[in-house]
Amino acid sequence: MPDPKLYLLAMAASAIASLLFVLAATAVARPASSTRLNVASILGIGLGLSVGYNVLALRLAWPPAKGLDRLLLIVVPTTIVIELIAGFPWVPRSVPWLMRICLAAAAPRVLLHGSVYLSSPASDQHLWQSAAQLVLCSFLLIGTWRLLTLLSVRSPGISIPLALAMTTQSGGLTIMMAGYIKGGAATIPLAASLAGTSVATYLMRKKTSLSGVIGIGVVGLFGVLFIGRFFGRLSTVCALTLLLAPLLLWISEVPSLRHRKPWFVGLFRLLLVAIPLAVVLVLAKQDFDLKMAPLL
Amino acid sequence: MRMRNCFFGLVRAFVVGAAVFTAGQSGFAADEYAYDLVHSSVTFKARHLDISWIHGRFNDVDGKFSIDRENPSKSTFHLVIKTDSVDTANKARDEHLRQPDYFDTKQFPTIEFKSTSTKAVEGGYEVTGDFTMHGVTKKITFVLKGGKEHQFKDIKRVAFSTELTLKRSDFGFDKNAIGPIGDEAIILIDCEGTRK
Repeated sequence: MPDPKLYLLAMAASAIASLLFVLAATAVARPASSTRLNVASILGIGLGLSVGYNVLALRLAWPPAKGLDRLLLIVVPTTIVIELIAGFPWVPRSVPWLMRICLAAAAPRVLLHGSVYLSSPASDQHLWQSAAQLVLCSFLLIGTWRLLTLLSVRSPGISIPLALAMTTQSGGLTIMMAGYIKGGAATIPLAASLAGTSVATYLMRKKTSLSGVIGIGVVGLFGVLFIGRFFGRLSTVCALTLLLAPLLLWISEVPSLRHRKPWFVGLFRLLLVAIPLAVVLVLAKQDFDLKMAPLL
Repeated sequence: MRMRNCFFGLVRAFVVGAAVFTAGQSGFAADEYAYDLVHSSVTFKARHLDISWIHGRFNDVDGKFSIDRENPSKSTFHLVIKTDSVDTANKARDEHLRQPDYFDTKQFPTIEFKSTSTKAVEGGYEVTGDFTMHGVTKKITFVLKGGKEHQFKDIKRVAFSTELTLKRSDFGFDKNAIGPIGDEAIILIDCEGTRK
């Protein structure tokens, strides 16, 4: 059964751990360089995730047997390593993107490993259909990742990781209302640590792209939506809406908005992303009331 | 040299003959039965809020068993339950049970039992074997009652029934999702095997 008190505690613990870690790591050398801030943010998310999952007592199996195990034990840690490497200025820019493309290509296959989608001969899908689905998912992941990273370089601000945190949490609630409680709960530490690191960078008053934080956020969001869609009851439309919602941030790049004050642009961006999220949540609640609530 | 060839030829003939005889013997002694889905059922029940029972069944089950009346220890039982076929007479609940918090049917499409040892007991067989559910395999032992045979329209039938209690938490089900539905589930198997 969902435990809102525990969820709030995990959320607070993850956010505070990430925030304090980033502040402490960057306080050592002031002013903090962009590289230091990026590395601190990535490690801060890693710490926030560990703390949050410990508070939730989320039991993961090794070797990973389920999609969620594979996401949290293979895909997310790999992203953290890639983003750490990408954060160093001496690494050629093509190398991290090559690694990101490899990860995006492998992630859907890794998440579906051992499932009926890949192994069952009784499945009504042809092999090429499954392969096409995986390729499409990879493209969606790398496309979203690339576009948000590009936006963060072009117009940096904490509204991008905050939008990702908001979307991830909305995705979690939707998955939970569709009946996959553990999958939904797994988004809490991710969303909270994204928010924690974003607030920490805001407090540092440093305008940096935070591409590492965005990378982990995009992969985490994609992963939970993918698992919710393929293993839970999350519909394709909902999953796609949630994955693509952060791309609405690009609307703020229209000339009439781009040169407004940063706080206005940031607020506008968050409100823009919140619209599809609110629609998805309302629909999910209606579906929950209809199908799941009578089962309790 | 000729004598030697003749000797080896005899030995070879003896070995082949003995193998054929042994195989024939065991083939005749153990009767192979196929699981008859029409006259069998795998049902379960679990406590709801510790005051009542929720009942359900699996509609897609397959299996086979061989019964060796002369040497019961050679009898084998194999049952495969398709988790996607869970049916509790409530579509929404069935969909919920297929999700990762419960059976996780896309990841673990089957529940399987494969016997590893069998011994005859009064009124049936005591069967020990590997029970795999939710990706976790545990050794379990239960008594299969019955074993009576019946010949009807050239089809030989044999039937068994058993009841076993399992804890879902022992098989990797998420403890947080156990909630109002009890951890323990009682599984009732009534199966009929057919042999032409």
